[in-house]
Amino acid sequence: MRTAAYERLLADLGSTFRPQRQWVEGRGIFLILGHFLSGVGAGAWLFSLWLGYAPGLVLAVGTVAASGLAHLFFLGRPERFWKMFRARTSWIARGFLGMNLFLGSAVLALLLPAGALRTLCVAVSVAGAAVIIGYKGNVYAASRGVPFWNSPVLPILYATYAIRGGLALLLVVLPLTGGPAVPHRLDLLELWVAVSAAVMLGFYLGVMRNTNLAARRSVAELTGGRVALAFYLGTVGVGLLVPIVVGVAGFAGPLSETALALVGALSLVGDFFAKYAIAKAGIYLPLVPAGRI
Amino acid sequence: MAIDLKRCIGCYGCQLSCKAEHGTPPGVFFARVAKRELGTYPNTRLVFLPLLCFHCGDAPCVDVCPTGASHYREGGVVDITRDDCVGCRACMQACPYEARYYNEAQGEYFPGQGLTPYERTKYKDQNVDVVMKCNFCIDRVQAGLEPACVANCAARARVFGDLDDPHSEVSHLIRLRGGEQLHPELGTRPSVYYLPPA
Repeated sequence: MRTAAYERLLADLGSTFRPQRQWVEGRGIFLILGHFLSGVGAGAWLFSLWLGYAPGLVLAVGTVAASGLAHLFFLGRPERFWKMFRARTSWIARGFLGMNLFLGSAVLALLLPAGALRTLCVAVSVAGAAVIIGYKGNVYAASRGVPFWNSPVLPILYATYAIRGGLALLLVVLPLTGGPAVPHRLDLLELWVAVSAAVMLGFYLGVMRNTNLAARRSVAELTGGRVALAFYLGTVGVGLLVPIVVGVAGFAGPLSETALALVGALSLVGDFFAKYAIAKAGIYLPLVPAGRI
Repeated sequence: MAIDLKRCIGCYGCQLSCKAEHGTPPGVFFARVAKRELGTYPNTRLVFLPLLCFHCGDAPCVDVCPTGASHYREGGVVDITRDDCVGCRACMQACPYEARYYNEAQGEYFPGQGLTPYERTKYKDQNVDVVMKCNFCIDRVQAGLEPACVANCAARARVFGDLDDPHSEVSHLIRLRGGEQLHPELGTRPSVYYLPPA
């Protein structure tokens, strides 16, 4: 008797539109989690710096460190992780270097007293956070075997989601620590970024629907296939519509901290599902014309 | 390498001989044959497409590898240093030809009966949780032999040689028959050409 995984691989190899499973199923879910957490953490670091919000800075470092662990859980050979430094052409290596740069400098920035050295560490951490925000989308975009991801629009979409995730995390934790939420109008900013993410997502799907057969099929999987539930419920419903509606309601009167925290939490869920759905919808470039097997 | 689609009879000899040569575990196919039945009855035809690593001149898998495990060898062969692979599988997503496989487990070909002596011997030279792929049987080539899939092709559909030598048989055939690469629009410059059936 052959294993179910082997049978599924044979079925996948025989199909015209072979779905990618490595980066979303099994241990692949840790990669999605790692990408989600790293974006949220880097975004939260930038906004916490802007707000001068110390608990947010600590939380951001913890979130990025957790994302590093999630990445390690995904790797087949995590004990060799230190070899990932060939950044000349690899976006994974660039992300690895950016993450190390960020963690090292951010921890120092938290520990050092105010002064030139701390300013330098903050500057380096901002650069590291920028690399973290930028690398994920580029890792996917460099995947030429999966046309749905192989687009310059995807890194912009992922960066938008990372910035939004950082904001959302702060919206959740600010009420708990009595942080400076209202003076900086984070709620308005969250609404603006949520609308931007929705527009970017729509633009991305519109572009990919007109790219090639495999990308079109991926869009069909998202909008009406095996990924539709995660996409409509998680990415669109929970992640975009509800936060945007609540955000718009904020124009009628100031939102309570609880409402803002709810918007933040839903945005985080939507951020995760956006990454999950886009990864799950990936389909390899067909090699053989469609037909019966 | 050139693969003559006019001669290929879809016998899976290449796939089988590759498995025998490399002892790849279940779920890893350095060489395989994709089959499709096209058209509708009674106007149907069976299409075979033998697939393997195309050893691209501009290989996307090499570019995305974060450790340098995927690399070019002398003669243009794309290979993996198994002790450097971290199992990130970026190369699998980058390869437009589905030529790479993740070795999740050194499974038994006869489940419940344990590994055969043959499997035990072959698995010694393999790592689990890393990516594997065809290396054009580099050890055989260096020993003056043809790759296993070429040597064992019953229909003599495969021709192996030096593409840089304009006088080699493979270069001559590609010129004569109008050899085509798979998905040339991607700019990967594959080293495997298909000779069209007609």
